[in-house]
Amino acid sequence: MSHEPMHRIIRLKRYEKPPEGYFDDFLREFHRRQRAELLRPSIVELILGRLQALISEIRVPAMAYAGATAVAVIASVLILRQPGGSGQPRFYAATYRQAPVTVPAMQPASLRVQPAENKRFDSLFPSPYLLKPRPATHESPLSF
Amino acid sequence: MTPDPESLPNNDAELVARTQGGDPSAFDELVIKYSPRLYGLIYHMTSNHEDTNDLLQDVFAKAYRSITNFRGKSSFYTWMHSIAVNMTINFLKKRNRRQHPSLNDPDSHIENDPDFIAATSNGDPTKQVSIHELQKKLNAAMMKLSHDHRIVVTMFDIQGTPHAEIAKILKISEGTVRSRLFYAHRQLQNSLHEFRKP
Repeated sequence: MSHEPMHRIIRLKRYEKPPEGYFDDFLREFHRRQRAELLRPSIVELILGRLQALISEIRVPAMAYAGATAVAVIASVLILRQPGGSGQPRFYAATYRQAPVTVPAMQPASLRVQPAENKRFDSLFPSPYLLKPRPATHESPLSF
Repeated sequence: MTPDPESLPNNDAELVARTQGGDPSAFDELVIKYSPRLYGLIYHMTSNHEDTNDLLQDVFAKAYRSITNFRGKSSFYTWMHSIAVNMTINFLKKRNRRQHPSLNDPDSHIENDPDFIAATSNGDPTKQVSIHELQKKLNAAMMKLSHDHRIVVTMFDIQGTPHAEIAKILKISEGTVRSRLFYAHRQLQNSLHEFRKP
């Protein structure tokens, strides 16, 4: 099968040409684009510029600042007034408050002063911390 | 008036060396030499003058930026055409179905071309087809081809590039070029059967 007739018909497309003077202008356009490319800012500069423009466009109303301050104050008061809780810091604070109460109870037994009027009470309820005098013979022998 | 690129002496190597050495006027000469041919290549692929203009500018801009990497392993002609083909095919892939033809008017010399006379009258002067009608039908037939087929038809049938050179530009074998041309012509025959000689 010969494709020569098709080749001849398709070849007619070579007559389609750009407007007169196009290629003379093409080089000038190329130079113009080259210069424009040299002046074109980098992508980072473009992004920064866009961000600055965006920020400057956002107008915060004066009342917004006052409102934000009021919300912050109310939130602080609520947090400070909140009773108890299960947070770690509060647990430590509670144990710190109890510490001064327990310290006096830990006095050594030997330093206790036994007043005379309490003798009867002591004989009824002897303190387990005071040693009673015993004869030496009552001690169990260690060896035979 | 732009000189015919074919008539210019092949001093590409010297112009490339001068460009690489920092002489932009040497690259201007390469632009003047190659723009008509590369315009045709891109135009027949896109069927749109404005797209062709933008793409051709981008092709030369890319070539200018990359010319320091050109080591002369292939000819400058092959290198330039490879850039143009790759950029055009990438463009067409992105453009996809968004096609708005913007065709150039055919040169008035077409009316004297025996192939045009034969194709439009088809042996019967009463059934003469207008230039624009033929142009539209040729364009529609070309646009039906795949990118791979269209590029070989453009380079071989329209621009007259030899098979071996097409193979180098597209980095395929000559056999593949011939095969693609065969299937492309067969498809074109189906689309343009009314213009075939009896």
